[in-house]
Amino acid sequence: MADAGLIAIGAGIAVGLTGLASAFAEKEIGAAAIGAMAENEKLFGKGLILTVIPETIVIFGMVVAILLWLNM
Amino acid sequence: MLLPKQMTRVLIVGSRGALKDTIEVLYQLEAAHLIDFSAEEEGFSLGAPLPESSDASQKLLKLRSLEKDMGIDDMDVRGSMDIAQVEKDLASTIFELEAEITGATESKNRISARISELEAEKAVLQNFQALPLNLELYRDYDSLKVFTGKVRADPSSALKAAVPQSEVFISDDGDFVAAFVNKAQADEAQKALVQFGFTEVPAPVGNGSPQQLVAKVDEELSTLRSSLEEAVKKLDDLKDKHAVFVKAADEHLSIIVEKAETPLRVGTTPYTFAMDAWVTTEDLPKVEKEIAEKLAGKVHLEALETMARREPRGHGHEEDGEEKHVEEIPSKLVNGKTVGKFEYMLRLLSIPKYREIDPTITMSITLPLFFGLMVGDIGYGIPFIILGAIGLKKCVSDDWRTISTLLFFGGIWSTIFGLFMFGEAYGLHFAEQAHDMSWSSLLGVQLPHEIAIGGFEIPIGIYSKLHNVKEILYMTLWIGIAHLFIGFCIGFYNKAIRYGFKHAVIEKVSWLMILVGGALLLLFLVDAMIRGKEVSLTDLRILIAAPLLLVGIVMAYKGEGSGAILELPGLMGNIISYTRLAAIGMSKAGLALAFNTIAFEVMWGHDFHVLGSNSGDMIILIAALAIFLIGHLTIFILAIISAGLHSLRLHYVEFFMKFYEGGGVEFKPLKVIRKYTTDKNGVSE
Repeated sequence: MADAGLIAIGAGIAVGLTGLASAFAEKEIGAAAIGAMAENEKLFGKGLILTVIPETIVIFGMVVAILLWLNM
Repeated sequence: MLLPKQMTRVLIVGSRGALKDTIEVLYQLEAAHLIDFSAEEEGFSLGAPLPESSDASQKLLKLRSLEKDMGIDDMDVRGSMDIAQVEKDLASTIFELEAEITGATESKNRISARISELEAEKAVLQNFQALPLNLELYRDYDSLKVFTGKVRADPSSALKAAVPQSEVFISDDGDFVAAFVNKAQADEAQKALVQFGFTEVPAPVGNGSPQQLVAKVDEELSTLRSSLEEAVKKLDDLKDKHAVFVKAADEHLSIIVEKAETPLRVGTTPYTFAMDAWVTTEDLPKVEKEIAEKLAGKVHLEALETMARREPRGHGHEEDGEEKHVEEIPSKLVNGKTVGKFEYMLRLLSIPKYREIDPTITMSITLPLFFGLMVGDIGYGIPFIILGAIGLKKCVSDDWRTISTLLFFGGIWSTIFGLFMFGEAYGLHFAEQAHDMSWSSLLGVQLPHEIAIGGFEIPIGIYSKLHNVKEILYMTLWIGIAHLFIGFCIGFYNKAIRYGFKHAVIEKVSWLMILVGGALLLLFLVDAMIRGKEVSLTDLRILIAAPLLLVGIVMAYKGEGSGAILELPGLMGNIISYTRLAAIGMSKAGLALAFNTIAFEVMWGHDFHVLGSNSGDMIILIAALAIFLIGHLTIFILAIISAGLHSLRLHYVEFFMKFYEGGGVEFKPLKVIRKYTTDKNGVSE
């Protein structure tokens, strides 16, 4: 298909940008969570939860990419 | 069964003279969770520690400082002593030991201090060693100023230009200089030197050549070092000899202090005491009997109230300030040996409240299941099982035991999924594939697509992680829906026992309806948009889904307010979040494919269209196997981290958010844990 290249680029952008977005969000939360854990180790569970919440963004990106890929 | 054990609040009152015996009995029963006495009640005051506490604390303090000096404060010592022996030794040994250890430590510290002093001296002298002058020549001049120090480059010509009347000595490597100039011109000389990064190193006192002095220092250093070794050895000997005793005594004294300080948590009047405690309803008769037998007539136990699961104040009051006065009921989790291994993962988050289901058991099923689905490969599954089994056998710490548990059970699921669903090991399918190499093509043997056991055809590998993405993605969505369904059901049960059936229906059944409606809608949408089938709006699925969704949303809005509307996309996000089960499997399969292609197709010249084809070169085969090994080791380690963490996250975030409140208090009965001591006499102390 002639559009295959464009679809592939689109899928790449979907995963790449959402990955960056997740990374930026997790960076700040993760740093704060480690800080909190240094004060109180019991916060590990809560810290982990808060840190991984933005990961959903990249999962969405991945789903979009896969849907695009399936149409290739 | 899933709820924490039922608790009864008891009040123990007695004459103050019997307090010590009461504490002793409670410690032996190991069944009472003491409630700290709040000093608000009129006529009562906090109890005072028992008299033996101060002596024991003093000894303990001394012992702890000895432990620090000996370096055994956080060491794991093997062995134990009977407390009668500890008791006997404590009186005599502790003072001797203190004298010995203090002496040895002091001499060791003295020697190390002298060594570092000499080393500093030597470092300075070594600079002057490079210059051909004796030390006395650097000082006591009337008209000369002497500069000695380090430089970055040779300053002699610049210095000569700035101050012609000067004499400069420079070391062979050009980084140490001694300059003699007229005192009147000292400023100019300094300016010239500074440009070469001059940092002053004053000449040390002493006479003679620096070489001789260094030799002398070296000599002294070597004697000091050997005596330091002796001192360290002496301390080590003392450590080996007394470690068990010190640890045992520490433990023994800690227990005495802990017991003696228990009255601080109890309310007392001049002649009586009153102790508030939680006892599991199951243990109550035992506690009652024991107290009646051992402390007859002096102490009375009264069971006040057996706590129901229902919130006493009804719904909506749990946030009120009044709640703080109500003592938190401790939760004693009831889990069997195997399921109990997963408890630690729940504790990482928080302890369940007394009035909610302990989700450890659901976690112990789905957590390894998700892990296995993400890994889905026999090649990793079997090593996981072995590693996990070794870990469970050898590891002591809770963290490692938990990781081993996850690896063991996750490994079992990985093997099952790897064999039947994906049919692969190390990212290679067993049976021959149309587009990829496989174990069949690599080994040159036709491996079957399915095996027949007793008339049943059991398939080996239905899906390929990279070629059946659509199917696997779709499957993970349904896993998500099912998991969340269980979550809402538990949530419904929790709400029902705490606030009553009506609240539970409004808050959780609404979400269950939305979830089921959404699931039906998903089925419809997949048909309409992805499969491209002809569908009409009068489809049965739509006819059921639309009212379910509508009623569910209205009920949720009524129950939780406008926040519920905002949570709708959140629920969709939660379900999509489960596609990570497929995504992580895919990413691992992709990595494995890359390593396998590099190792076998590129290096070894394997062509998967021809069974068993290769370049036949043994050396290249060894190199290819090395690449294969390193690559798969990387994936193996990544699998532990990503699969483990992500399945944990799916539970913590998506699953628990649907029902779990947490923040309970753990049931901690009065009891002693002995590690280094044994109590032969048992009861009588």
